[in-house]
Amino acid sequence: MGAQKKGATARVSEDPEELARHPLQAILLADSFTTKFRPITLERPKVLLPLVNIPMINYTLAWLESAGVEEVFVFCCAHSKQVIDYLESSEWSSQPNFSVTTIESHNSISAGDALRLIYERNVIHGDFVLISGDTVSNMSLTQALQEHKDRRKKDANAIMTMVVKQSKPSPITQQSRLGTDELFMAINPVTKQLLYYEDKAEYSKGFISLDKTLIADNPSVILHNDKQDCYIDICSQEVLSLFTDNFDYQHLRRHFVKGLLVDDIMGYKIFTHEIHSSYAARIDNFRSYDTISKDIIQRWTYPFVPDVLCGSSAIKVERQGTYRASDVTLSRSAQLGSFIFIGQGTKIGNDTKISHSVIGERCTIGSNVTIEGSYIWNNVTIEDGCQLRNAIVCDGVILKSGAVLQPGVILSFKVVVGQQFVVPAYSKVSLLQQPTQQDSDEELEYADSTSGTGELRSDKLNGDIAPDLSEIASELGTGGVGYIWKVFEGAYDEEWRHSVAPIPTDKLVKLMLDRDEDEELLTQDGNIISASGELKTDSDGNGSEDDDNEDSRDDYVSFEKEVEATFLRAVHENVKVDLAVLEVNALRLSYNMASVDCGGAIFYSMMKLAVESPHNSASELHRNAADIVTTWQKLLKSFLHDIDEEIEVILKFEEMCLESAKEFAALFPQILHLLYDKEILQEDAILRWADEKEGADESDKVFLKRSEKFIQWLREAEEEEEEEDE
Amino acid sequence: MNRVGLQYLAGDLSGGNARCIAMLQAFQEAIRDYSTPPEKTLTRDLTSKIGGFVSFLIECRPLSMSMGNAIRFLKSRIARLPLTLSESEAKTTLCSDIDRFINEKIVLADKVILRHAATKIRDGDVLLTYGSSCVVEMILLYAHELGKQFRVVVVDSHPMLEGQKLLRRLVVKGLSCTYTQLNAISYVMHKVTRVFLGASSIFSNGTVYSTVGTASVAMVAHAFRVPVLVCCEAYKFHERVQLDSICFNELGDPDAISKVPGRVDVNYLDNLTDKQKENLELLNLKYDATPSDYISVIVTDYGMIPPTSVPVIVRGYRKEYLLI
Repeated sequence: MGAQKKGATARVSEDPEELARHPLQAILLADSFTTKFRPITLERPKVLLPLVNIPMINYTLAWLESAGVEEVFVFCCAHSKQVIDYLESSEWSSQPNFSVTTIESHNSISAGDALRLIYERNVIHGDFVLISGDTVSNMSLTQALQEHKDRRKKDANAIMTMVVKQSKPSPITQQSRLGTDELFMAINPVTKQLLYYEDKAEYSKGFISLDKTLIADNPSVILHNDKQDCYIDICSQEVLSLFTDNFDYQHLRRHFVKGLLVDDIMGYKIFTHEIHSSYAARIDNFRSYDTISKDIIQRWTYPFVPDVLCGSSAIKVERQGTYRASDVTLSRSAQLGSFIFIGQGTKIGNDTKISHSVIGERCTIGSNVTIEGSYIWNNVTIEDGCQLRNAIVCDGVILKSGAVLQPGVILSFKVVVGQQFVVPAYSKVSLLQQPTQQDSDEELEYADSTSGTGELRSDKLNGDIAPDLSEIASELGTGGVGYIWKVFEGAYDEEWRHSVAPIPTDKLVKLMLDRDEDEELLTQDGNIISASGELKTDSDGNGSEDDDNEDSRDDYVSFEKEVEATFLRAVHENVKVDLAVLEVNALRLSYNMASVDCGGAIFYSMMKLAVESPHNSASELHRNAADIVTTWQKLLKSFLHDIDEEIEVILKFEEMCLESAKEFAALFPQILHLLYDKEILQEDAILRWADEKEGADESDKVFLKRSEKFIQWLREAEEEEEEEDE
Repeated sequence: MNRVGLQYLAGDLSGGNARCIAMLQAFQEAIRDYSTPPEKTLTRDLTSKIGGFVSFLIECRPLSMSMGNAIRFLKSRIARLPLTLSESEAKTTLCSDIDRFINEKIVLADKVILRHAATKIRDGDVLLTYGSSCVVEMILLYAHELGKQFRVVVVDSHPMLEGQKLLRRLVVKGLSCTYTQLNAISYVMHKVTRVFLGASSIFSNGTVYSTVGTASVAMVAHAFRVPVLVCCEAYKFHERVQLDSICFNELGDPDAISKVPGRVDVNYLDNLTDKQKENLELLNLKYDATPSDYISVIVTDYGMIPPTSVPVIVRGYRKEYLLI
């Protein structure tokens, strides 16, 4: 594993003349425009947070450089000063053939605003790479760029190429390993055109709906739920102007991509480029921070790994993924497990156990400390006997002796945890108070560098904080300093989804059980939903789309009701039989039912009417039924074309006798005879029904037995007929 | 029978045990479908029939020692059938004999082996294995189930890359694994505490005949003073004595080593003229012989034995054959 200097990977090969015209440009958004990393992002921009001890933006810039990008515009918004200062002092400001220009803004609240501003600056002259400053990748852009260019030559509307990667979300949590929600994409397998993008599908429904035209217009469509959006986009200039034209576009995916896919007037197209062996992922939340850190330590992101990126500061990789700086003071009895990173100047005391963790520079760790799966940044002091599990500990934090951090804890800058204090799981602790007016709209949230919290910070961070915080000290035990942030209502359930801590097994078990129940419910309704959600397409484009997606069972019930209502209206308003037939037929079409169902439903309504009309005895009921059947036999007959449908009527009747209209139970053979007399049921149908029932359970045969005589008579009649024929 | 042969040929079936079981089951089917032609005795005719099948299989892929042993067993069973038995009785006896062979000599033997081998795995061990051996895989999974804490180093080599199959199955089961190529063996061997190897056959002088590369792994382990455990069912033992791997071996597809899968840029050997090819020999050996010096212990269904004790087992085994 020799130290390969960055930039050694293949540069983009282009025609020299083309190269002269457009040096490859990139826009790097150094602001995520979200609050997922609060409270840490209140004090430091997300792109400068250390990822395995190197600020995230370094990974992105290093990749851009190696991928052949020559000009990067870094858009800074929140904490723009910090980002600019960092970039100026870093090596990036003095690279040959790689210029980093910062664009500062104080009033942008979304990626859309940022791109509009960049458009106004008029600095982009050709195709560019759009990326946010928290993306780690080692893919080669050459092929994706080439594909993009070739497509552009053929079709000027192909304005964007999105990089995707295979990543199967967990069927239980419906989350990828990066902690992002399951993403559904419909892609044309031949042209790779993106046709559908949904990152906020509702799992409770168990299905997603696609536009019918999507299926009609494309010879083949593959719907993926196993792709991960890498948030690396190759865009043409039009993308910027589109943002300017549609000033309400804020979010890159939710507004822009979906907007383009829906909009068929302009005809702009988005394509995808799938990468297989190379790495690309974006740090979206604490879980992805954890996952990507591990990937970096396990060297999936090579050559962007700490020992290569740090170059000069001499970090050595040892067996089992142990990264150790040269001047670590390590006690002889300390036990270092696998996959750990220990930065420069860190001291580790006796009998301390560390595994799967990152420890930054100049930290002091006492004796008998246990650290598992945690991310400890720089200048942290951990006194004897502390225990840390799956926590993020920012710069300057002090853990007094015996403190315990339960899984998922985030300690922001300079927090002090008191002696023997146990910080409960998933708490977020900061020196700053939680902003009271939390924006409910996620789009608009971003770290507010201008508001009151800024002043608060400067006060506290500069001076000695202990005196004016003494009254809140109790929140973190004796000697502790910091506020534990309250979790908002409803958000608590979701806390574990995005936390650094692995998902607790009891949650998984619970989810699994919930899921089974759901599935059972759905299966009972006669509709089996696959684990990943079933794809259903709208069968027609008009208003009944939603009805179509309902379960067929519900459909039948509502259909039956409609038919009944129609029938009653026909009876009371003396509608002609032909018209009634027409109406029922219309209902049948709109509910997409077979004529079998119609016959059953009409017969059901007839019998129901008979039961509901006043009667005193069984014979009166019989007369009622006979009247109705006589009047409306034509209606019923027009839906009974073959024997199967007639059998269906008998079955329906049987069901009624058992459930809704028990009065008929006694009259079963008579009604059957009546139907036979009126030539609604042929004898074949009745005999076949009898034959079918022959093999059924005893309980099922109740009515068969009652009508035994009638059937007997039928059979004899038939035989006689046959004899006569002979 | 044809299907099994073609599977051998296509390489779908690999691994000594899998091949042997498939062959025996194919024999079973053949025996069931068999009926003695008139004027012939079952014993004679069936033996020659089986001989025909075997030569077909050999044409598809040379037989391994274990298969040779299994065939010998079957033939001896046929030869020893009492003449008084009717044809259907004879057929059922043979089928149940085959079933018993599979069960006792392979399935149960494996279970015994993994019990024995698991006692040699301690917490904190780093176990190294080479290629993909199903017995070793079972041992690792069994030890993992027992809750032992250990790491696995899977060493692999071109062109088969069988280790990746093993690796996948281990990782799925949650074992902590390191994967490396045979070239890096001397680097990883430092931290390894045990080497577990599978074998295709073991000869009576203690030489282990196994996938090519095994010998170098055993040799490096020996040089690093790491114990080498060879796990092998006793039915694979053979009385032959072999000193090197050239006198009895199998040649693989020579093209397989001239190309690297998934790397189009590695094409140095393409486009050689016929004249140049005359000077080139691509040698893709499938097996090699590991001298008994490099082997600490052989784990078999008869217990853990030193390589010098192999002849005893072979002798005892042959006796048992006759007694079965």
